[in-house]
Amino acid sequence: MDSLLVRSAEELFSRHADPTAVRAIRAGGSPEVLWGELERAGFPDALVPEDAGGAGLRAAEVLPVLMAAGRFAVPLPLGETMLARAALAAAGEEVPPGAILLGEPLGGGARVPAIGAADWVLLPGDNGALLLPMAKAAEDEGAGSPFGRVLRWPGGAGRRLAVPDLFPAGAWAEVAAMAGAMERILESTVRHAGERQQFGRPVAAFQAVQQQISVMTEDVFAARMAAQLASVPDGDGVAGLNPLRVAAAKLRTGEAAVRVSAIAHAVHGAMGITEELDLHLLTERLRTGRVRFGGEAHWGGWLGRRFLAGDETETLAFVRAHLGPSAPEATA
Amino acid sequence: MIGALPLAAIPPEDEALRPEIRAFLRDAVADIPPERRARSWMGFNPEFSRKLAGRGWLGLTFPREYGGAGRGAFARYVLVEELLAAGAPVSAHWIADRQSGPLIQRFGTEAQRRFYLPRICRAEAFFCIGMSEPNTGSDLASVTTRAVREGDGWRLNGAKIWTTNAQHSHYMIALVRTGGTAADRHKGLSQIIVDLHAPGVRISPIRDLAGDAHFSEVVFEDVFLPLDALIGEEGSGWAQVNAELAFERSGPERVLSSAVLLDEWARWLREASGVGNASEAAEALLGRLLAHLAVLRAMSVAVTGRLMEGESPVVEAALVKDLGTEFEQLIPVVVADILARPGPVPPGPLMRTLAYTAAMAPSFSLRGGTREILRGMIARGMGLR
Repeated sequence: MDSLLVRSAEELFSRHADPTAVRAIRAGGSPEVLWGELERAGFPDALVPEDAGGAGLRAAEVLPVLMAAGRFAVPLPLGETMLARAALAAAGEEVPPGAILLGEPLGGGARVPAIGAADWVLLPGDNGALLLPMAKAAEDEGAGSPFGRVLRWPGGAGRRLAVPDLFPAGAWAEVAAMAGAMERILESTVRHAGERQQFGRPVAAFQAVQQQISVMTEDVFAARMAAQLASVPDGDGVAGLNPLRVAAAKLRTGEAAVRVSAIAHAVHGAMGITEELDLHLLTERLRTGRVRFGGEAHWGGWLGRRFLAGDETETLAFVRAHLGPSAPEATA
Repeated sequence: MIGALPLAAIPPEDEALRPEIRAFLRDAVADIPPERRARSWMGFNPEFSRKLAGRGWLGLTFPREYGGAGRGAFARYVLVEELLAAGAPVSAHWIADRQSGPLIQRFGTEAQRRFYLPRICRAEAFFCIGMSEPNTGSDLASVTTRAVREGDGWRLNGAKIWTTNAQHSHYMIALVRTGGTAADRHKGLSQIIVDLHAPGVRISPIRDLAGDAHFSEVVFEDVFLPLDALIGEEGSGWAQVNAELAFERSGPERVLSSAVLLDEWARWLREASGVGNASEAAEALLGRLLAHLAVLRAMSVAVTGRLMEGESPVVEAALVKDLGTEFEQLIPVVVADILARPGPVPPGPLMRTLAYTAAMAPSFSLRGGTREILRGMIARGMGLR
């Protein structure tokens, strides 16, 4: 099941989200073809309960699909749409057609990514969330940057819906995409180091380069493990997500992203900085993913406070009780 | 390229061991101050090892017919992580239980198994490992200690150094040359069990920077050993040592060496500041360390899962050790920094635990293979060399 799902995702992305297609969407081109294919494959409804017309999958089962999207730096909110649709369906709300971005509340508006087309923004508020049409959004002109843009709805458009806070869920989607992007960056770095010749031999032959790529490998493994840990569906959030797991994973993946990007660019040299190479599509995905839905400082503080207010006084006991590799282990 | 590590979970029957172990430890380590518990698997206490033996917790993975409990690697994982988290003094039996016993079980003769394994389970045979020599460190294949066949035995000459617990142990499993010369590298190496009370063995403890003498130099001068001192096949020492190391590199001892310090600091943070009053910096640091611990533990458990399936995830184990020891070394660095902020006076035991852990931390990434060696192994696994 798992491998079948990921194989079909990989196939879809290689056909419709190759670097040329990704660049076109990033430049403002229409995402219709790619999104249409995703809808046809049923991916945006993967987390929607079966009785509401979805596939009824849980976080761990769609993780490989979102990691595949990360490997291709897909500039569309696939994970966010999955989560938003699942939350809406679970709340008995009507699910609107099209892609849904999860907004981060910021100064009365919504922060959304700078790149990526969507039809709706789901913005958490005090009582539930607002479903806001992208078509009626006004951009806060002074606030935009490659890290994101701030949207407002001057007319107060949108419907207030009884859905839970999707902030941790959004963080989980970023974790998945980052873990996938890091896998692809590692592959491309190993390949480049084997092909690029200096001093008459491939740079991979130099011990200094080997050791750096080993460090990178460690972080990619850690990020992948963090993503798996975050996807163990033992929480009561959408898709079974557990905010404690997401907190730990977002923090660890963010740290990995910094080191992996730095080493990848170091090994690729000046070539990695060029528009022509695909590396920057992936490292940019890491830069934005790291700070979206809370970075290391945010989740570190949040997790630390949860520990200090919790029942377990030992760190290992806390990890076993809340952050173990399977749904709650026996506690003593 | 090496494949992904799938999540693995500790089976419920092994988890079931935990409550009993935790209850035992609550009493057994209650009177040991944290700066002693911080010695982790360097804390030597034969009496404590005998207590564990009395509970049937030594040689947990050895077959029942040799005095063991016939349990799997995950049962031992549960036992070891609780022992290390509590800072129990496990050093006396540590090497025998983790490494020498399994080695004898795997490569030894039936007579060797019957002789050594029950003694290990009863905490009557403590082992050390003779690998490094005065001129042999990371380049392990360059050992020059030599065992020569003579009549119905072996004549051993040479020296080992940095051997943990040699002065307290009954036996050493030494990697020695039984054929060829240092130029032959991996060929001609064998493993041999040395009775450390045999004539000609001279052991000189070396004091470490914390004032302990946990390692020694061991000199062999015409030590005569019986023929059955050889363990496994003559000339197969290198392969045997490497099989041994895969099990050594990914366990909880590569993640939890600073656990006592982390828990002491977290406890003080909770007590001194009261809920909701810890500084934001301290909260964020604590959360960061918890996140690292969770991911490392999951990786370590996953590698154990692969070992249980009969695989030999040597590269994955190297990766866990390099990351795990980095975490162990990070803890004293960041805790020292956060405690340097103005605020309530931290208790003496916490500061002494910090001082010990900070001073010994450099050794965490030396023992069992240095960072550079491990990263070389990972690079090979990635097809770079």
